[in-house]
Amino acid sequence: MNGDARTDAERVAADWLARQDGGALAPADAAALEAWLGADTRHRVAFLRLLAAWDESRRLQALGAGWPHAGPPPRGHWATPAHGHGIASLGDDAPPLPAPPDLRELRLAPRTHTARRPAARAVAALCLAACGLLATWGWQSYHRVESALYGTALGGIETVSLSDGSQAILASDSLIEVQLSRRQRRIELARGEAIFDVAKDSRRPFVVDGGDREVVAIGTRFSVRRDARDLRVVVTEGTVRLQSPAGGKRGTRPTTLLPAGSMALVRADGVLVRSIPIADAERLLDWRNGLLVFRDATLADVAAEFNRYNARKLVVADADAGALRIGGSFRWDNAEGFARLLERGFPVRAAYAADSIVLASP
Amino acid sequence: MPTALDRWFIDAILVHEEALLRYLQRNWPHRDELHDLRQEVYARVYQAAGKGLPQQPKAFLFASARHLLADRARRARVVSIEPMGDFEPSHVLVDEVSPERWCGGRQALKRLAEALDRLPDRCREVVWLRRVDELSQKDVALRLGISEKTVEKHIAKGMHLLAASLFSGDLPSRDGAPAIPEHDDERRRAD
Repeated sequence: MNGDARTDAERVAADWLARQDGGALAPADAAALEAWLGADTRHRVAFLRLLAAWDESRRLQALGAGWPHAGPPPRGHWATPAHGHGIASLGDDAPPLPAPPDLRELRLAPRTHTARRPAARAVAALCLAACGLLATWGWQSYHRVESALYGTALGGIETVSLSDGSQAILASDSLIEVQLSRRQRRIELARGEAIFDVAKDSRRPFVVDGGDREVVAIGTRFSVRRDARDLRVVVTEGTVRLQSPAGGKRGTRPTTLLPAGSMALVRADGVLVRSIPIADAERLLDWRNGLLVFRDATLADVAAEFNRYNARKLVVADADAGALRIGGSFRWDNAEGFARLLERGFPVRAAYAADSIVLASP
Repeated sequence: MPTALDRWFIDAILVHEEALLRYLQRNWPHRDELHDLRQEVYARVYQAAGKGLPQQPKAFLFASARHLLADRARRARVVSIEPMGDFEPSHVLVDEVSPERWCGGRQALKRLAEALDRLPDRCREVVWLRRVDELSQKDVALRLGISEKTVEKHIAKGMHLLAASLFSGDLPSRDGAPAIPEHDDERRRAD
């Protein structure tokens, strides 16, 4: 019973595992290993402990994704702020951000919203908002227009202070173009979602252009979200006006006034306005605090919501699972934790892969 | 290859290693025996679990540790180890690492990145090539211009050090004897 014996067990276990890692053991060796493991429980637990660590190390692949070179990155690679941020902000097993953004690749995003956007591109567009201020000056009908572009990658949230004193909080994978002139403050929401905290300025309306519709405010707080099909406006303070863009091709539609506590869904066939308690409206914007909040939502909707934030997608495999009703608040950066929670409390089985988590009825 | 019992041991017991080591450290005066005690506790837990899985693995683990210390104390005739008598699982909970911290999520990746960065240079390179680039041991040897045997030894060492970082937060490498000292020399020569 001396310490050496135990140290010895670990050494022998490591030798066996390393040999096994090099290739399948010959039958005689495999038998010898079995005999050794069976001889003493201490052998077996030492073996299991190292095996578990070695298995765990396979997840290094998640860290290696995006590292373009052969061999390991320099020491401390993941501890530097940029990459530390990568680990901190991406979901489970999501590849870390490979390298600081190359500003030469900075370009305007297409205005049409494409449904699928490769994660790689989102990553390349990393922190446009943080560092990519594209300011151009020009003259436009006697006005100087200040224009800038802000965006976030998948899994990122950024707060942007505009020069008029307003603030925009961009959700994951979102892009806005800001144009401030003496007459107007105009924000084009190219994709995604943003919460606007508008500084009061009665001479310069604050207009958010969501494509088909404009949301006009003077001093208030609201969010606009643009999906492939619809535009969602949530107002938590003040009043905003929903209107068609001037000179719209499809003729003018009635202008709608949205007071605080409204949620409007704009689709091709019309506008649906719901009046909700302000607390509920605030809750719809809780993503800015890292949370997704649901009340009696279908799992299909919940999964779609998570997927707005994560490269590792939640996939609902069947209609039964998709119809389950979910309530509660969840961290959007922890899709895996959410899946595990589901497995515990709902008739759902989850299969965890590197780029997806498939949720199915058992 | 692992059996259900093996899996249980890895998932329900090993995750508490850091807390277990802290407990042993607090309650046992001889630092150089921690490593040995840990292994012995594991063996006892594993053996007992073979007859039926405990309902509360963590409580069972710490009860086993307490019994072991009591046995050892009796044998060594160590008279005073008062903290042992006061042992309550709740004391352990305070600084315990939650299993989730390494079972999943970005914390796990962070921990893994740190564990990798703590490996010696060559060892780190070998583990990376094998695990991330998925080269065979043979190809790793070719790439680095070293023998396959040396690669194997680096892998063995890597497992050791990764286990120490991942499970015990590196407590034993600071407090206990190096796990495979004789190999270290060989490797230094190999490098």
